[in-house]
This record gives sequence, C-alpha cells and structure tokens, in this order.
Amino acid sequence: MDGNEAAAWGAKLSRAEVIPAYPITPQTELISQIAALISEGIMDAEYIKVEGEHTAMAAAIGASVAGARVFTASASQGIAFMEEALWMPPGRRLPIVMCMVNRAMAPIGGLRPDHNDALMQRDTGWIQLYCENSQEVIDTVIQSFKIGEDKRVCLPVAPCYDGYFVSATATPTTIPDQSEVDDFLPPYVHEMYNIMPGEHKPTGGSSDIAKARYEVEKAHERARGIIEEVDKEFGKRFGRCYDGLIEEYNCDGAEAVLVTMGSMTGTARDVIDEMRGKGKSIGLVKLKGFRPFPTEEFRKLGKKYNAIAVVDRNNSYGSAGGGIVSMEVARALYALDDRPLLVNFQVGLGGSDVTMRQIEYMAEETLEAVETGKVKSVVDWVELHDLGEVM
Amino acid sequence: MELNKLFDEYYEKSYIQGGTTCCPGCGGPLFWRLALEVLGANTILYGDGPCAYCAIRNIKLPTFGIHFSFAADGATGIAAALRVKGRKDITLVSSAGDGATGDISFGKVSAAAERNENMIQICVDNEAYMNTGVQKSGLTPFGAWTTTTPLGKEAPKKEIPMILAQHKIPYVATASVAYPKDFQKKIIKAKGIEGFKYFHSVIPCPTGWRFDPAKSIEVIRLGVQTWAWPLYEIEGGILKLTMKPKRRPIEDYLKAQNRFRHLTDDQVKHIQAMTDQKRERLLQQDGKRIIF
Repeated sequence: MDGNEAAAWGAKLSRAEVIPAYPITPQTELISQIAALISEGIMDAEYIKVEGEHTAMAAAIGASVAGARVFTASASQGIAFMEEALWMPPGRRLPIVMCMVNRAMAPIGGLRPDHNDALMQRDTGWIQLYCENSQEVIDTVIQSFKIGEDKRVCLPVAPCYDGYFVSATATPTTIPDQSEVDDFLPPYVHEMYNIMPGEHKPTGGSSDIAKARYEVEKAHERARGIIEEVDKEFGKRFGRCYDGLIEEYNCDGAEAVLVTMGSMTGTARDVIDEMRGKGKSIGLVKLKGFRPFPTEEFRKLGKKYNAIAVVDRNNSYGSAGGGIVSMEVARALYALDDRPLLVNFQVGLGGSDVTMRQIEYMAEETLEAVETGKVKSVVDWVELHDLGEVM
Repeated sequence: MELNKLFDEYYEKSYIQGGTTCCPGCGGPLFWRLALEVLGANTILYGDGPCAYCAIRNIKLPTFGIHFSFAADGATGIAAALRVKGRKDITLVSSAGDGATGDISFGKVSAAAERNENMIQICVDNEAYMNTGVQKSGLTPFGAWTTTTPLGKEAPKKEIPMILAQHKIPYVATASVAYPKDFQKKIIKAKGIEGFKYFHSVIPCPTGWRFDPAKSIEVIRLGVQTWAWPLYEIEGGILKLTMKPKRRPIEDYLKAQNRFRHLTDDQVKHIQAMTDQKRERLLQQDGKRIIF
C-alpha cells in the first residue's frame, strides 16, 4: 500500500464525515481513493468536490464548526493557496485533520518533495507530524483525530509525508481493524461551541486577544504530552508506536547524532546501521513532531551527545542561520550551560533524492566536527559537493 | 418614554438586538430585520465580515462570521455537516457583500451554485467597498464616484443575478428594502425551495453614495422606479418581473446622489439609453423562459 492509499484508509477508519478536497499532485491519489471508497460503499462520508484549496479549507472549517469530523489533504502550491484559511482552525479550536503531502514550492523545484510547503505554515498553530512510510501514515492519521479532538488540545493536526517517496511508494502496511479503531477513537463531540439553532454557543472570538492567543499556545504545550499519551495507547492496542515527538535510533554510546525528518529517515537508518557496524560513533534521531516542537527532548539530546547534526530538507532564504529545523534546534539548545556542537546540512532541496552516500558524508563531517571541536560552516549545502559514486 | 417602550417591545420579539454599528441611513439593519422576520429562529447565518455583516453583529441567531474572501465556501461545509446530521429542518443562509460576491469570492459563489448547495446565498449590495471607505467594486455602477474611481467608474455593473441564473439554479431574485412586502415574499419562497437560491438586494449607503441619510428609502425607491435596479425573480428558468413601474428618467435617481454629480449630459444620456434597453428587454422576456 502506498502513502496516499494509507492516508485514505486512515480517514475511512477514523470515520471522517466531511471531506472537502481539491486535487494537486502528489496528493491526487489520496482523494481519488477516498472518492472510490465512498462510491463503493466502503466509506460513508460527504465528499465535497470544491473548486480550489482555499474553499477546501473554508468548507472544512464550516463543517467542523457545525460539528462534523473533517479530513482533507493538500500539497505545495495548494497549501500556499489555502494559507489564509489555515489560520482559522487553530484560532477557532477546530480539530480538522489535513494531510500535507510534501512537495517543493515553485519556481525552483519540481513535483518532488521538500518540506518548505508545510514548514512555512509553522506559525499558523497546526500540529505537524512527519511520517516516514505508509504504515506510519495510516497510524498517524488515526492518532491525529484523537490528538486534535482531545479536550485538552482542540487543535488541527497535519500528518505530513513526502510526495512520491512515501505517497507513491508501496510498502507493506497493516490496516487496523475497524472495530478496534472505533474503540480507540470515539465519535467527535466538541463541547467548546455549537452553531445549531436553539443550542447555540458562540465559536470563540474573545475580546481579550492576547489571552485567546495564549490559550492556543497552552494547548500546544499540553499537546506535547498528549501526542505521547495517544501514541502509547495506540501502541498497546495495535502493537505499533512511534516514540511520540522524536525517536532515537541506534544511538547507544554514540558521540553524535543526525536529525532527519520524513522519508530520508528510512535511508538514514541503513547508513547509520552500516557505519555503527564499522565502529563509527554516530546515531540517528527522527524528528516526527515539528509543532509542537520537542524543545525539552532536544535539550536532553544536547546533554547526551557532543554534536547534533540537523539535516534540513528545506531552506530559509536570507536566514544566514541554515535550515528551519536547525534554527529551531539551536533555540532549544541555547538554554544549556554546556552546549553540543550544532552542525547543519541542507539536502534534498526541490525534491532531489537524498542518497546513502550523502548521508554517509554528513555523518563523517559531523564526526570530524566532534574530533576537531569545530564546525566548518553555519550550513553545508550538501548537493553542491561532488561526492563521487552513489553508495 | 412611550417610544422607548415600543423599541424594547420590538427588539424583544426581533432576532436582531437593538443598536447598530452601521452609519445613519444604512440599509443593512433594515435588510436583516426584514429577512430575519421571515427566516425565523431555525436559521444558521454564515457571512463575510464587512458592511453587510455589521448590521447583524448582535444577532440572536447562530452566526459564523469570516472574511470576505470566504463567501459561500464555509456555508458549503455547514451544509454538508447538516446532511451528515440529518438536519433538514434548518435554513442555512450565506451572506456576502457586493465586493465578495462580484469580486474576490465570485468563483466561490459560482462554484457553490454549480454544486447546487442547499442554502440561500444573499448579496447585500451597497455598490462599493464601503467598510474600507468607498472603493470601487465590480458591482459599482457605471459613472459612480468612489475613492478609487475619482472620475467615475469606467465599466458597467456586473449582472450577478443573471450570471447566477445561467448556473441553472432553482431560484434567483432581486429585491429592494424600499419594497418590504416583495422582499419578504421572495425570502419566504427561497426558504421553501431545495438547492441553491440566490437573493440579491441593493441597499442604500448615504455615506458612500453621498446623500442625506434621512432620504435613504426615497433614494432606493427611485432606483426601482427608474429601472436602475429592476425587481424580478427567475424560478425554474422563467423570468417574472415583480414590479413594472412606468418609465421614469434615470436622471431623477442620479441627481439624488452626489456620487453621480460629476456626470456630463452625454454620460447621463448613455446611462438612460442602457437603462431603456434593459427595461425593454426585461419587459419582452417577462413570463418567458430565459434559461435553457
């Protein structure tokens, strides 16, 4: 099963009731799959074939305000087109779930993935969870409804996964049992508001603006724990879990770690295994939760390892500080008295393949930084080097 | 004292609360009083932010207000949720101003009409972006002054009711707050029809049209009497004029508003000729099928 099919099944098993969607590569197979599931009578939902992404999110907002469980999906230019609407669900506390099937933004990029499309929505208030493969996609979609609808959270959630590498690549995927998902995820009831005549409770709109914003911030802070809690409960029921916001992989006794996000994590697992086999002291950290950001977790990593190398599949022009994830990590580590070295790589931009050789190079550079105690440059644009043969 | 009591009693019964943030003479509060009287309590109101919605900030019914780039789209989601919940008893009203309907959300309204969403889509038309301080919209009439058309608007007003009628929706109506009975009859009819109903009313705006607020109803009535804003409905593709006033010079309407005071005689003649053509065409088509 590929990632798009997995996401469609995730929405089906979660009993999403309203799905407003507009097609964009590489998300199209997801929404076509949902249309097929509905037409075959496998899925029971109102599918609204809207005329653009801005309307897709607006209709999602309307349906959610009226008390329906809502799912949608988009990518790249589509996410940018709906950006105005993306600010509404967090502010209105609507637990919409939208898959962001990552694809590079035009013009310097193609149809393939990098993470700028989702990362540029960093400040809107959406929870963002990055998935590595189809299994994680289906599981994360189901978990996302549970997280977003939790009374302590009430926020929209975006399961993100790389276009093509995850969306179109079939990998073995277990489809959870419907009755087990029903037990895990009860029907959606929102107690904060109601727009039905006679039962009307207004949908927010506080006169105290700073306080309302602070409430959203507090919800994100609470979400950190709830993401872990939901993941653990999922693990108990279904036998699979993802260690909450970050996963440490093959890190025992390592001096340094590479931090990856999305599909390249799978490639990095193989490279790290091989290097550990050769006695190299490097581990891997998979960053799943970008919002809320696992600040405390990174501080713990900072105390354990001598160097943290962030692999950014994105860039922020003019930042002079490297990729977006690396800037977030730097802010988290700043509070430490004894800070590790922070190394930053940018790779896979515009959807270029992230190769095993590139990951090996990044690991070697990181270990060299540990040895010399110095980081060569603020950010290393990996693809500008000729690394010779692909490993 | 007696007058205060009267107001209190009225607003006790009305779905709109006393007091308004609108300008003196604005047609908005009147529009919503007339509409809500016949829509009734079992109504959800969705609408865009600016002028059209100012009048109903303090409404007693469930509302969901949003920016004017969101006309009809959020209501589409509400309609879907109502279907999921099997709530056929609720009337869904989606409101937008002329800027939303004719410009920034034109595609949204068109798409909702194409999908035949079950809602009454309302256009509260004061013929410019009044909330931001009188800027030209697609529904500003030819020749009208606004702050972005200081020499008068170059292009004619978009014919939104006719454009939407071409979407083959079940019901289209134009109305005026100067004719409350006709106005309310059309809302009642729209409420009883399944699918996408489009209801468009021009409302007076003394601030933007530049006239004495006390003359609001007088001015808007002249609009209907001179055929600047003809009243009709299109049901099942058949046009029916609901008001057929005798020809009256358009000048009477134009002269009543300072937004047209710079017009030359030639321009007035041009507007008269266009209005006459429109009047003749509508009279010819009255009672006939115009949508195929």
